[in-house]
Amino acid sequence: MRQAGTYSGILSGGISGKTGPHLLPLARIKKIMKKSGEDVKMISGESPIVFSKACELFIKELTQRSWMVTMQGKRRTLNKEDVASAVMATDLFDFLVNLVSESGNSGEAPPPLELDTFTSS
Amino acid sequence: MAEALAPASPGGGSHESGEQSPKSNVREQDRFLPIANISRIMKKALPANGKIAKDAKETVQECVSEFISFITSEASDKCQREKRKTINGDDLLWAMATLGFEDYIDPLKIYLSRYREMEGDAKGSAKGGDASAKKDVQPGPNGQLVHQGSFSQGVNYGNSQAHLMLPMQGTD
Repeated sequence: MRQAGTYSGILSGGISGKTGPHLLPLARIKKIMKKSGEDVKMISGESPIVFSKACELFIKELTQRSWMVTMQGKRRTLNKEDVASAVMATDLFDFLVNLVSESGNSGEAPPPLELDTFTSS
Repeated sequence: MAEALAPASPGGGSHESGEQSPKSNVREQDRFLPIANISRIMKKALPANGKIAKDAKETVQECVSEFISFITSEASDKCQREKRKTINGDDLLWAMATLGFEDYIDPLKIYLSRYREMEGDAKGSAKGGDASAKKDVQPGPNGQLVHQGSFSQGVNYGNSQAHLMLPMQGTD
C-alpha cells in the first residue's frame, strides 16, 4: 500500500518545496514586483499567485512565437536571436524591445523579419 | 530536527553569502526567476524534438522579470490614482487587460478561483478533522517530516483520496 509518490513532490511543489502547487516561486515573484517601483510597497497575497500563472502564460507565448522564427530558419534549436525577432514582430511585446536589442548588440544584428521594414530615413 | 543544527559560525553565515558572487552587479536571485523553472515551462511549449539554447533561456528569464515590472507598474499607478496602498489580484488583471494581455484574463480567473477553492477546502478540512495541532495551511516545507512521522495528521491532510478509501475496505 505504499505510495511514495504521494509525498514526493507533486503536493509540496518539488524537492525545494518553495513553489507550492505553482510552477514559479512566489517569494521571488514578490521581490521582483517590489523592485518595479518605489511606490510598490504593499502587495496582496493573491498577487504573486496571479503572476505565477501569468508568467507561465507569458513564457509559453513568447516561446511559441520564438519557435516559429526558429522553424522559419529551418533549425531545431531556439536561440536568443529568435526570441529577439519574435519580440520585434509582436506588438504585445513592445515593452521588451529595448531589452532584447540591448542584449543582442554583440556585433551581429538579429535576423530581420519580414515586418521589419521601418528603417529610419 | 536536524535542520536546526547550524554550522559552527554563529551569525557569520548569512554575512558571507553576499560575497560569493562579487562579479554580479545585483544579486541574480533577486532580479530573476530561477532559470530551471523557466526552462521547464519553455520546453512544454515546444515539440518534443525542439531544443533551447542557453542564451535563449537567459533572454526569456530577463523578459519575464520585465513583464512582471511592466504589469506591476501599471497596477501600482492605478492604486495610486485610487488612493489605495495594496496592489491586489484584480489590479493586476486590470493592468494586463489594459496593456494588451486580455487573453490571459480568463485563464487567470479560472486559476484564481481554483486556488481559492483549494484554500477553502484546506481550511475547512483542517477545522472539521482531527488536525488540532497542525493548523498551518502550507504543507510544503514540512513534507519530509511528514514522511518520517508515523502518526502525523499531515498524511491524512495531504492524501484525501486515501482518506475516502479507508471505509470501503471493511465492507466486502
